[in-house]
Amino acid sequence: MKKLLLLIEALNATAASTPDGWENRDVHTIFASDLISDILVSEGDHILLITSLLSDQVLRTADVIGAVAVVLVNRKKIPAMLGKAAAKQGIPLFHTPLPKFESCVRLGRLMETL
Amino acid sequence: MSPALQPTEEMSLRIQELAGNLKIRDVMTRKVFAVTRHCTMRDVQTIMKNNAISGVPVVDDRHVIGLISVHDIMNAYEQEWMADAVADHMTTGVRTLAEEQPLSIAMSAFSKFPYRRFPVVNRNNELTGMVTLRNINMALIQELSRQLDAMETEGGRISPATSSETFIFYRVYRIARYDFEAGGKASAELREQLQARGISPKIIRRAAVACYELEINIIAHSFGGTLTLYVDKDRVRITANDFGPGIPDIEEAMTEGFSTATDWIRSQGFGAGMGLPNTKRLSDEFAIQSGIDMGTMVKAIIHLNPQEKQPDENE
Repeated sequence: MKKLLLLIEALNATAASTPDGWENRDVHTIFASDLISDILVSEGDHILLITSLLSDQVLRTADVIGAVAVVLVNRKKIPAMLGKAAAKQGIPLFHTPLPKFESCVRLGRLMETL
Repeated sequence: MSPALQPTEEMSLRIQELAGNLKIRDVMTRKVFAVTRHCTMRDVQTIMKNNAISGVPVVDDRHVIGLISVHDIMNAYEQEWMADAVADHMTTGVRTLAEEQPLSIAMSAFSKFPYRRFPVVNRNNELTGMVTLRNINMALIQELSRQLDAMETEGGRISPATSSETFIFYRVYRIARYDFEAGGKASAELREQLQARGISPKIIRRAAVACYELEINIIAHSFGGTLTLYVDKDRVRITANDFGPGIPDIEEAMTEGFSTATDWIRSQGFGAGMGLPNTKRLSDEFAIQSGIDMGTMVKAIIHLNPQEKQPDENE
């Protein structure tokens, strides 16, 4: 288990929308996918969702599985409406210029540390 | 009109229900262009052309004695009968419908006989209207829309007559084709409802995912439809009904990885061919029915009681 803040810092990620207290949310599982149906059947709780999909549906899907936060990878910028949608849903949303593989490697190493 | 005429068996129960309270007079066209037996075929052709209609009844003192169709006019052209009186070339023995009859009788008349329109008469056997399939379709769509409005207004409220022991949440969502923006509305509300009841997160997730998959199915693959949530103390029932096009091979649709999604749908992150198999796997009870050009109905039930058997995760 890791605090969300630690993971976000490791990705050099920028916040698009963050509700109060997001830093201290617990992450138990990292899940990375660009297929909504795979995200929907992901297992584990307190998921940090890593994806390069840019549609509204990513946020909806994150909500459906009760994800802790969403990080959009490979993105220096993201559409402003996504940030607004995330704010409305109260889900923390970030984006990082790092590609998906690099992001996963960094997070994987962190999750393995005690 | 034969009194033995009954609604056909093929007519779906839902459509019969919809037609239920409607009578033929509620749907018929009242503005009727009729001619007397002395008018010429050319007169009828002019009436048809000017009013964009394809059938004109012939009356004698308001009683229907025949009908001229476009086919009769074409025949008259060929045979050079255009100057003749309609009485010489009209179709006789025309079937009429009574305005007091239920709409289902008109619907079965259209499926039993090759005619595309029926004159409608009152109790005195006088012509009062015409009914076509278009009239019936419009009336059914209006009735469906009216019923949906009523359900939407009533939905979501806890019925005071039944205690929360037996009835907790009920809502109907109307879902439009390709409206991905609206996808997830029902599942978000279902999640809220279940959270408020203190249901375990695992069960909430199964119910929310099943609901979401069914919402997306209607949006991505159908012409539009409805999704109904019904939650009582024991279970969540999700029913998805759409208006077509229907699934040609259900077994194929239930196969993991099979998908008819377009590139655009795939670009939205959907179309992996897992929607229906996932929904079935997540549900305690699952049923699907589909008819080509009629639509698809999917019912998924998730038990809220943790003592009950859960589906095998590795199934």
